[in-house]
Formats: sequence, C-alpha cells, structure tokens
Amino acid sequence: MLDISDLVTAYGKIDALKGVSLQVETGKITCLLGPNGAGKTTLMMTIAGLLHPRRGSIRLAGTELVGLSPARIVAHGIALVPENRLVFPQMSVRENLLAGAYQRNDKVSIDADLKRMYALFPRLNERTEQLAGTLSGGEQQMLAVARALMSRPRVLLMDEPSLGLAPLVVTEIFNIVRDLNRDGTTIFLVEQNAHMALQVAHRFLLMEQGRITFRGMPGQLAEDEVIQRAYLGTRRAAG
Amino acid sequence: MIDLVQNTIDGVMIGSSYGLLALGFTLIFGVMRRLDLAYGPSIMIGGYFGTVLYLYYGAGPLAVASAVVLGAVIAGIYVERLCFAPMKAGAAIASMVSSFAIWMQLEQAAILVLPRHTYPFPPLATVAPLEFGPFLVRVDHLIMLVCALALAAAVHLALYHTRFGLALRAIIGSPVAAHLVGINVRTAVLLTFAGASAVGGAAGFLVLAVDQQVTPMFGMWATLKGLIAMMIGGLGSVPGAVVGGLLLGIVEANSQWYFGPQIRDLVAYVVLFAFLVVRPRGLLGRAPEPAMPPKA
Amino acid sequence: MDDYLIGVLSNIGVISFVALSAYLLLLTGEISFGQQAFFAIGAYAAGIATALWGWSLAAALVWGAAVSGGAALLVGVPTLRLHGLYFAIATLAFAEMVRILFELFRYQISIDGELIGPNGTDGFRNIRYIFDHNIDAFQFLLLIYSLLAAAMLGLLLLERSRLGVIFRMIGQDETLAELQGIPVARRKVLAAGIAGTLAGIGGGLYAHLTTYVEPRIFDIMLGVHSLAYGLIGGLGTAFGPLLGVLIDIGLLESIRALAGYRMIIFGGLVALLLIVRPRGLLDEMVVHKIGRGWRRVSLWARRSSLKPRGNSA
Repeated sequence: MLDISDLVTAYGKIDALKGVSLQVETGKITCLLGPNGAGKTTLMMTIAGLLHPRRGSIRLAGTELVGLSPARIVAHGIALVPENRLVFPQMSVRENLLAGAYQRNDKVSIDADLKRMYALFPRLNERTEQLAGTLSGGEQQMLAVARALMSRPRVLLMDEPSLGLAPLVVTEIFNIVRDLNRDGTTIFLVEQNAHMALQVAHRFLLMEQGRITFRGMPGQLAEDEVIQRAYLGTRRAAG
Repeated sequence: MIDLVQNTIDGVMIGSSYGLLALGFTLIFGVMRRLDLAYGPSIMIGGYFGTVLYLYYGAGPLAVASAVVLGAVIAGIYVERLCFAPMKAGAAIASMVSSFAIWMQLEQAAILVLPRHTYPFPPLATVAPLEFGPFLVRVDHLIMLVCALALAAAVHLALYHTRFGLALRAIIGSPVAAHLVGINVRTAVLLTFAGASAVGGAAGFLVLAVDQQVTPMFGMWATLKGLIAMMIGGLGSVPGAVVGGLLLGIVEANSQWYFGPQIRDLVAYVVLFAFLVVRPRGLLGRAPEPAMPPKA
Repeated sequence: MDDYLIGVLSNIGVISFVALSAYLLLLTGEISFGQQAFFAIGAYAAGIATALWGWSLAAALVWGAAVSGGAALLVGVPTLRLHGLYFAIATLAFAEMVRILFELFRYQISIDGELIGPNGTDGFRNIRYIFDHNIDAFQFLLLIYSLLAAAMLGLLLLERSRLGVIFRMIGQDETLAELQGIPVARRKVLAAGIAGTLAGIGGGLYAHLTTYVEPRIFDIMLGVHSLAYGLIGGLGTAFGPLLGVLIDIGLLESIRALAGYRMIIFGGLVALLLIVRPRGLLDEMVVHKIGRGWRRVSLWARRSSLKPRGNSA
C-alpha cells in the first residue's frame, strides 16, 4: 500500500532521514520503533507532506506523494494522528471531527461517520460539545484518532499515540488500534512504547539515527533486545 | 451626568468602527500570528480609491463604499503576497518590518497620486440629528453603528456557520493540525487577508464618511485604533475585538470631552499599557501561552 | 568636507544610537517599537541642562543618558512578564505616552529677556550650546562619531563577553536560560537599561545638533525605523544596525532625483530583502563566515611571517 524508498530528509544541515526504505502492507499494522531523535517523527511529517525530502519517493498504491501539498496528500488517503495530538482547542469535539472531514462534502455520510465515531469512542460521545482543549490527554488522543478517521483514510499514520498517557489509557488506545485494523484500516504506527506496540504489530521495523536497522515480525527478535534498541539504540561493540 | 451619557452614546458609535477595524486585525493575527502594520494603510488606499470616485465621478455613498472595500482588498492582497506569504516559519519580525516598509510605500504612493492634505468624502446622511430627550444622536453615527453591528454579526456567522469559517478557526487553533485535516492553509490565509481587508475597508468607509474627509494620516490612525481595540478586547478574540472597540470609543469620547484631544490619546495608551501589564489577554482573550507569539 | 555631507553624516551618527538601542533589545529576543521614547527623554534632558541650567555639554550628555537609562529601567520592570507581541505593543504604547506627555510639558525660564525651554507642541527651541561655544559642525561631527565609536566598542566587547552570550541565550530560549541558572529577569532589565542609555546619548547629541526638538519627531515612525535598521543591516553584529542606517539615510538621501519616490523604492527593496534575508544583510551566518575567513587569513599571515629564512629547525 505504502512504498517508501531511499527517503532523505534534512533538518537544517543534518540529514534526519538518511535513506529510508520500507513498505506498509495493506490491511496490516506496521510499527516503527526507535529511540528519541532517530527520525521517526521526521518520517511521519515527510509522508504527510509537512516536510519535503531532498531525495527519495513515497508511493501510495502506485501514486507518488513527494512534492504534493499536505492537503493533496490527505486527498489521496493519508491521515496522520500527530505527536502531541494537536486537537483544535477552541473548537468542540464535534467541530474537531467535522474538521477531520473537511475535504468531504457528502453531508449524509459525514453524519453517519460522526455517529460511528461516537460509537467507537463512547467517551467522546459524552462530550460532543465540550471544547477540545479541556479534554484529558487520553480523550484528546481519542479525538485526534477519530478526527483522522473522519477523512476515511486508506492509511492511518499514528505518531506516538501513547505519549504522556496513563497505562490504562494506553491499553485502551491500542485496543482501538487493533479494532480499527480488524475493520480493515491499514495502520502505520510509530512508538516508543515497544512492549505495547509489539502486541498489536503484524510487522515491525527499527529505526536508529535515520536508518532502518531491522525489519521483521514480532518474535523474530527477543523482546528485550527490541526494547533496548528502541530506547537506547544498538550498543556498539565494545573494544 | 448628561454629558457622560451623551459622550458614551457618541463613544459607542465611533467605537463600533474601532471594533470593525480590530476585527479585521484580529482575523489576520489569528491566522498568521503576526502583526500586519500595513493594515491601516491598505484601508487608506481604499479610501483614496473612494475619494477619486467621489471627486471625479460624483459617485454616491454605496459606490464609494464599494470602491473603498475594493481598494482595501487589493492593497491587502499585495501586502499578503509580499510580506507574509513568502516568509518562513520563524521570520515573524521580518514580516512585521516588511509590512512596515510597505506601510511607508503605500503612504508615499498615495501622497504622490493625490498630493493634497485632505480629500472629501460623501456624507452618510444630511438630515438633522435625532433627539432623544436631552440627548442628540447624529443620523450618520447611527447608520455607522447599525452597519458595524451588522458586519460584525456577518463575520460571526461566517466564522461559526460556514465551512470556510471552520477552516479559519482550525488554522487559528493549530496551523499544523489544519494542514493534517486537509485544509489548504495558504489559500485560506490569502482569503482571510482579503476578507479582513474588506471588513477593514467597510470600517474605513464608515469612519471617513462620518468625518467627510480622507487624509494620508488615516493609515496610521486606523492601524493604531484597530491595534489598541484588539489588545484591550483580547488578542485573537472576535467578540473581544467588538467589545474592545466599544470600550475604546467610550473612553476616548469621555476623555476628549473632559480633558481635550491630547489627553484623549494619552488615556487610550494608558489604558492599553495598563491592560498589557495587568491583564495581557485583554477582556475576552485567551491567556497568552509562553510560546506564542513568536519571539525574535 | 562640505556642510551638506557633514549634516548627513551627523544625522547618520545620531540615528545610529537609536538603531543600536533597538538592536540590543532584539538580541535578548524582544521587539521594541519604543526606543524613540528614550531618544526623546535624552534630547529634552540634555537640552534643558545646557539651555536652561547652563551646564557643560559633557555634563548634559551624561545627564541625558542617565535620565533615559533610568526611565528604561523603570519601564523595564512592569513589562518583564510580557513577551513577543505583547511586549512590542507595550513599548509602542509607552513611547506614545511619552510623546504626548512632551506635548503637554512646559518648562520655560526667562534668560536675558527671552523665554527658553520646552513649550509643549511648539517644541524646544534655541538649544544653542554649540553655537554659543563656537563648536563648528565638523567638530561636533567628530564628537558624535567618537561617542558612537565608544558605544560600538562597548557593544562589540559585550558581544564577546559572557554577558553578551547570556543575552543571546535569553534571546534564543528564556526557559532554557533560566534552567541554566541565569537570572533572566535581572539581565533583561539590564539590557533594557543599557539600550535606553544608548538611545539617550543619541538624543542628547541630536538636540544639540539640530538645536530644536519637538514631540512630533519622536513618533512611531522613528521607532519602527530604528527596529528596521537592525533587520536590514543584519542582526549578527553591532555593525548591522549601522549598515541599515547608512543604507537608509546615506544612500537614499544622496539620490536627490529620487527624493519623491524614496519610500516607494526603499519600502519595496526592504520587503524583497527580508524575503531572502529575514535576519538582515549581516546576519549571524554571514558574520560567522566572515569570522572564519578572517581567522583563516590571520592564521595564514602568521604562518608566513613565522617561516624562518633558510632551514627550518
């Protein structure tokens, strides 16, 4: 579904992505793990069109996305749930969701999707007119996911959904991720919480210092090695 | 006591225009997080379009108003394209200084084309003032108030009940997230500038028609009034802009009556300064976040 | 040197003080539209000292600098908590308040049958010190530039000093600076005080240069211009604001034929320049490259001069 090849994105003078290649399979959950500063968010921002790569290609079902504006990338079917949620704080839950459907104008099915989101996220249903800025962290995360889903994306990107959330809430979020995928959504997920990520992932990748250093399935690497590399990066051979 | 009420009535009238000016300013600031110092001068250009139509073609108030709005929009788009669109994310002061440079450019251009110190504007009404007991209300003031309130209501409607308004509020809330939900931010910003300039143009027309003249100093005057009203009412708040404008109008009218025009201006600045030191968010604005607005 | 050139150079010198004043505040990360207030205070204070109290020029300039520096410290405190735009508008409001107060300020003394002193909107005439003491235009020009050179030296030393680094750190990220143990509030007030003093010196010189000041001169235009000079000339070095002043007053003043279109051309050029160079001509990167180039050249020069004739040891 999503085919990224040899992606190089600069951050000032430094290359944050040094030639990243990966595939996200249709209908599966793919997880990208890696330490802070590895370039995971840069990758997400580049796919979403907020950053422009110096080189490389991003193909969604064959269509080249590099060079398109963020709005056109959304039109092609990518939706990003950004790091730190970024809800629209002065707008209500309902308005946030409607904003997610900005590019659609089929009012009837937008309304149907709204109801679907309320059913999927009961906590949002209780707060439809509440200002998003007053929601708790977990509720904002759910809102951000629901907002992204309103555009009916072909690929859902999620950047560190567990960041800053209590463990119970994190479990809830990952259950939702699993449920979404069961309904057919392709998900590409970036996480620091390796443990939770490995429980839902069909395939996972490790990114360290702007490069993919491992790709495989959960179980192929011992979980503690994964966790170690996800938080600390590969230990260089001593001596 | 009668004076106080009369002044307050007059103040509310002129304050409604201040509110409109502040409204345009607030919309631009909301989506750009930057001050457009060429805002007032853009409206002045509109004013000059209007006076040309009036002087040389004898047009009526409605036609002149359209010319003012058109001129303001054209100037506003020029400013947006030159001073704001090409600037990268961190270049906030560069945008402001650039808009200042264009302010001076527009002012001198206006003086070159129409070199006299003042040019006439058609009046809004020529009938005698209305009397309500001991109070006088000028008819043109009343027209100004009604138009201003109608416009403010229209802006509110647009912001809260249209798709474009939703996009605007999204950009004001989080520019990054606005991109991510598929809003074409660049186009929306350009349209906001045009809309804000139109609102400013309307405000400008009302003021100029009441004053029955336009001068090259109008640009700076409009920017200052809009800015002060916006800050008092609350940066980034649409109802705040209107409230701030009305309050400014009332304070000014009374200060001028009791103490004269210099004290009037002084009081306006003192009020502004006091608000900034004691309650920077103004009357209805959000508490300023430490990260916003951008620093040098 | 003909009188016209002396006049233009004197103007450039005096205005440079306000430009440097705004620049210093920009280094700590704050935009000020109001340095013209301290320029005004310095002008009036120094003018009053010589014209009404019979002080010497030196004493008057010190007095003017002290009063404006003090005023800057006073205003710096309540505006401490303000940042970015809020601070900028507060400075604008303050400067306008000062200007209007000068419009209301009357302080006249009868000297030799004449009324001398500030007279509200009519301004303050007859600040005739340099004429009464036979200081010609060229000598005054030298005075202006010696003081400017001293100020520049001070600023350049400051930039290399620990305090200068602290100012730039505060400008980059106040919270981070605070975490490093820097007393941010006190340093910012200090910067405000120094900036105000600089503007005050310029004001004192200005009053004696033109012998006449009025409140109208010290308006928002002057304030935003002062800020613009740094943005145009470059924020990487204290020479930046000077370059900005030079470009505005020097270049365009001398193109007499374009006088009527000066702002149209200048305004457009500034807008275009800022698109490609948002931190001015001599921005931090350029200054860094010049510094590297200079070090390379001086290293090469030293190496060549150290090469012994004949065999090396």
